[in-house]
Amino acid sequence: MSDKTETELLYEAREKRFNDAVSLKKPDRVPIVSLTNFFLTRYGGITDKEAMYDYSKMREAWLASIKKLDWDFVPGIFTFFPGKVLEIMDSKALKWAGHGLGENILYQYIDKEYMLADEYDEFLDDPNGFVVTKFLPRVCGIFKPLGELLPIPWLASGYTAPVLGATLAGLPHYAEMMEKLIEAGKEMTAYNIHQAQLVQDAKEMGYPMTAGSYSVAPFDSISDFFRGLNGTMLDIYRRPDKLKAAVDYVAPHVTQFAINYAAMTGNPRVVIPLHRGSGAFMSDEQFAEFYWPGLKRLLLDLIDAGLTPIPFFEGDMTPRLKYLAQLPPGKVAGHFDIVDKKKFKEILGDKMVFWGDVPGSLLVTGKPQQIKDYVKALIDMFADTGGLIIDGAVEGVPPESKPENVEAMTEAVREYGVYQ
Amino acid sequence: MLQKLTTAITEMNEKEAVAIAEKLLNNGTEPLEVIEACQKAMEVIGRRFSAGECFIPELILAGDMMKQISEKAEPHLKQDVAVKKHGRVIIATVEGDIHDIGKNIVVSMLDANGFDVLDLGVDVPVAKIVETAKEFKPSVVGLSGLLTLAFDPMKAVVAALEEEGLRKNIKVMIGGGMIDEQVRQYTGADTFGANAMDAVIFAKKWTGGKQNVG
Repeated sequence: MSDKTETELLYEAREKRFNDAVSLKKPDRVPIVSLTNFFLTRYGGITDKEAMYDYSKMREAWLASIKKLDWDFVPGIFTFFPGKVLEIMDSKALKWAGHGLGENILYQYIDKEYMLADEYDEFLDDPNGFVVTKFLPRVCGIFKPLGELLPIPWLASGYTAPVLGATLAGLPHYAEMMEKLIEAGKEMTAYNIHQAQLVQDAKEMGYPMTAGSYSVAPFDSISDFFRGLNGTMLDIYRRPDKLKAAVDYVAPHVTQFAINYAAMTGNPRVVIPLHRGSGAFMSDEQFAEFYWPGLKRLLLDLIDAGLTPIPFFEGDMTPRLKYLAQLPPGKVAGHFDIVDKKKFKEILGDKMVFWGDVPGSLLVTGKPQQIKDYVKALIDMFADTGGLIIDGAVEGVPPESKPENVEAMTEAVREYGVYQ
Repeated sequence: MLQKLTTAITEMNEKEAVAIAEKLLNNGTEPLEVIEACQKAMEVIGRRFSAGECFIPELILAGDMMKQISEKAEPHLKQDVAVKKHGRVIIATVEGDIHDIGKNIVVSMLDANGFDVLDLGVDVPVAKIVETAKEFKPSVVGLSGLLTLAFDPMKAVVAALEEEGLRKNIKVMIGGGMIDEQVRQYTGADTFGANAMDAVIFAKKWTGGKQNVG
């Protein structure tokens, strides 16, 4: 007889169900695991603004929705940001509910060249210096004083570091920056306490968290955060070597970050939202040259570290399936948006789980029966190997989804997804 | 030389293309002929894009070459000669959505293909689109949105154009990462596009322009 409690057994069973599907062994039932965010808080009765500003309301809404839907995992919470912290830090790269957007609007990132084309050399010569003195002041208003810092080695003297440090701290605008940082730190801690409580509460209810860490593809790190879409697409022609050098530079760091974060949370699943490598953005040759080497290295390094990467593919991945076939089978939990499923079956059917892909358009504007039919078709197609996990497509379950449609998706899994 | 310019653009030889254009303009070639040579290149690139033979980097680079050359041609244009436009198009990312990558590429492609495009930017309220449509009198309104939150504002624009009696003269096309036939029906738009060149193809069809793309 096991001395485990009923919820502990449930927790293990849910984790096993997911792990079996990822390693292409038939679980007892098709798992349903969503990478959603604000659908859960809206379903729990609060606005996006409340979800970003009232941490205990957010936690309660999240757990209430999970209890009602009874999915296998609790969606990860990385995609949430505390609104107050964003305000104090004076975030320039985001707009969010009640701050540039309406109260029930998903926060959004502003795609822009946060590093200019002629700054590659400066970045490559001294990435840390560039990030501290140029990048940070551009994305967070409170870091503006950092833009005045001379090259960092200037501080490196055992004689003068104490007085130089104190001199900086004594300047009014630096003092103000540090006071705001302390304020933001306190707010962030309050938020983190609630989030840790959420993870604990979910565990006590018998639900594992979907992911405990995250990362980005090296190319996306440069494209999303530094050069913007327009910038990198032109860099492919105008300065390919510099673009590659920057991507190579960030590659080991994005891996290390993910490994450290997973060690901190004790959860081996690493979600990786992927943007610019889809079939709509670049050619196969460009993908092979600029995007895939960094992504492949990230995925293999995470697997080597004993982690389960969850590449969250946005856009059409059909032309890239042949690259994904190079990865070790049963180790990567690929979450798909748009893909030719027949080709997926052919190329990856015995190598990678299919996780997805109920379209956002159906969840938001369709009818419950359409959703059920869609899920049933997925099960009919993929259940032969056990390599199937159900979720929505690109936004997981989009915030605007009709509750009855999401409930239909959940019911369909229970109705059609039990393995004989 | 004009053919060489077209080829330099389609082969993505940016420096060569700009240098040839400069030479042509300085030698007294009609600036309109230079622009037409660029448009010819854009048509080739558009066809390749629709056929999956080139992608976003090429669209953006070609659009940028065209822009550089048009700027150089401008001072050479005689004031009484207007560049003939296919028709008027309003483009906007709808209210609540601030994504502009797709929208910007569509605007640049319509522009390069000879449309008179009015870009209203992102997060544009329904009323502003309708008011602008009354004044600008476009043949086509293109609505963009990346997120599912864009569906309702798109539907609202179509309904408002209908209500104001503008719909009979205006076709509405929608586009964005999650837009499909399901959403087209929901919003009441005339069509949806899967990519930037679709927008050019629809706009040409609706404005009676020569359909030399696709």
